[in-house]
Amino acid sequence: MAQAALTIDGLSVDFEGFKAVNGVSMIVEDGELRVLLGANGAGKTTLMDLISGKTRSTGGRVFLHDTDITNWEEHRIARAGIGRKFQIPSVFKELTVRRNLEVASCTSPSVFANLGFGFPAKAKVDEVLELIGLTDEANRVAAYLSHGQTQWLELGLLLTQDPKIILLDEPTAGMTQAETHKTSLIVNNLKGRHTIIVVEHDMAFVREIAERITVLHLGQVLAEGSVSEIETDPKVKQAYLGSKGIT
Amino acid sequence: MLSRRRIDWVIYAAFIVLIMVFPLIMDSFWLNRLAKYLVFGMLGIAVALSWGYAGILNLGQGLFFGAGAYMLAMSLKLASTTSLQQGSDKPVPDFMLWNAEPGAKTELCCINKASFLWLPFQSQWFGVAMALVLPVLIAFVLGSIVFRKRISGVFVSIITLALVLLVRLIMIDAQPVTNGFNGLTDLGWFKLGEFEFDPYVVPTYYLIAISLSVVLVLARLLVETRAGVILQAIRDDQNRARYLGFDVPAYQTFFFAVSALIAGFAGMLYVIVSEFASPTFMDLSFSITMVVWAAVGGRASILGACIGAILINMISATVSETEGFAEAWKAIIGLVFVLVVLYLPRGIAGLAHDLIDRFVARRTPDRTRALRVNGASSQLAE
Repeated sequence: MAQAALTIDGLSVDFEGFKAVNGVSMIVEDGELRVLLGANGAGKTTLMDLISGKTRSTGGRVFLHDTDITNWEEHRIARAGIGRKFQIPSVFKELTVRRNLEVASCTSPSVFANLGFGFPAKAKVDEVLELIGLTDEANRVAAYLSHGQTQWLELGLLLTQDPKIILLDEPTAGMTQAETHKTSLIVNNLKGRHTIIVVEHDMAFVREIAERITVLHLGQVLAEGSVSEIETDPKVKQAYLGSKGIT
Repeated sequence: MLSRRRIDWVIYAAFIVLIMVFPLIMDSFWLNRLAKYLVFGMLGIAVALSWGYAGILNLGQGLFFGAGAYMLAMSLKLASTTSLQQGSDKPVPDFMLWNAEPGAKTELCCINKASFLWLPFQSQWFGVAMALVLPVLIAFVLGSIVFRKRISGVFVSIITLALVLLVRLIMIDAQPVTNGFNGLTDLGWFKLGEFEFDPYVVPTYYLIAISLSVVLVLARLLVETRAGVILQAIRDDQNRARYLGFDVPAYQTFFFAVSALIAGFAGMLYVIVSEFASPTFMDLSFSITMVVWAAVGGRASILGACIGAILINMISATVSETEGFAEAWKAIIGLVFVLVVLYLPRGIAGLAHDLIDRFVARRTPDRTRALRVNGASSQLAE
């Protein structure tokens, strides 16, 4: 059996009485691609916030391999090996595409260690530029990229950062069909090399990438399984998919 | 190949050469004036660093300038001849006697309750050291609290603004040790070995000009380091930088402190050329004026903000002394500011960069003109 990359044990958060995430437990294995499904308010994004340190949990634990990272500061969690893409694409708008990736490639977190010149990881940056299809835009300021390109650039930041686990929050939000397809190619390319957790609403996209799906409902795990298992699960059908399944 | 970065450095060099040859064409009165404006140019650099590069709009930069100024002024006050003529064999500032309780001993240690604070300032180099250390210390403590608490944007501006006003009040209130509203006047000259820096001689001008050149080049190099680039990334999107694993408050505090160091250094130099330190350095209007200099010159450019400060001061001096404008010069400066903000949001430097880009694009026609080539990044990556 593969090793557990991320272990979540009874994770909860209480927003003044409202339990956005309530005792969620799950194990994501090394190299797995896990999709989180759920209606608005099911707690998907909050769960990502808890894993990445944006929100402090009020109960439960999170382990990255064997390290307990519960409620660490965000940058320490990031250094430990969890990368995150936001729902609203966020990149460094006034820097060029290449500069964006160079910043992500920087392996030392401290100010004083970075008082030197030049980023050493040129090969890595070139490789990522190629992968996200922005080689021709390398010297462009990120503010001038299209919405889709901005999303890919943010994916590129994660690739350059090279974390063990990648959290993707709706990577195809606002994308055209063609852009969504290209994104699924990028994500599929990451499979196996990284452990990936994706929150996504777009069913076509989910079909293109999904292996295992965890369905959240009202802050709790409703079901977990392969695409076909989830499709046929009567509880899930009832809660979200209607009677037609994933189409 | 001509890159924008190389052209930038040529412009830096040209600027430094220009300020070095000024003494050849100017009389000592204008030289002293210009030295003050160069000090203001240094303040422009400090503002560009914190506002343009770190995204921290500090409306209390005068606090650091004032701290630097007062620290050296205390030493120079003790070095003045009047401080030695107060009836004690050790120097005592004259204003302390004017305010002294009847029967108080004419000694720094005990003429009033807080006068002992002045004791170490009998050494000029203690004053110099404090002029640099105190601003950094204040910035470090303030930055550590504010940035760790993730206070950002306009709230940082409000806090810094409140702080400079608070300190100004305290300085005025602490009359027995600071001479209150009058500030520290009648100062001695700054000494380097046997040499005394008379504010109206050429060597004093060079002291300022060389200091400015060094600060200018170092600040420019600093923003080109990896840390400088990461700082700009943090300015653009704090959260993104945080989730890439950077300790955001550490970067902000570091550059905030560097900006304070430059402002403190400028305050110190200002005392050397102007021979006084006063609570007006911590007036709100002065701190806001610095922001205006940087905005006009271009806050995203170290040299731009520096030139902005120097130009605005030269223009104000000229206009305010021109008959017919004497009454209206403040309105004219205000108008210039409004026009620049409206039509040149990136200031003079932004305009210059656009012109250079056009020039570079014409020289290398195979490069797509639409691309905004950032010479710095491509150069560094090579």
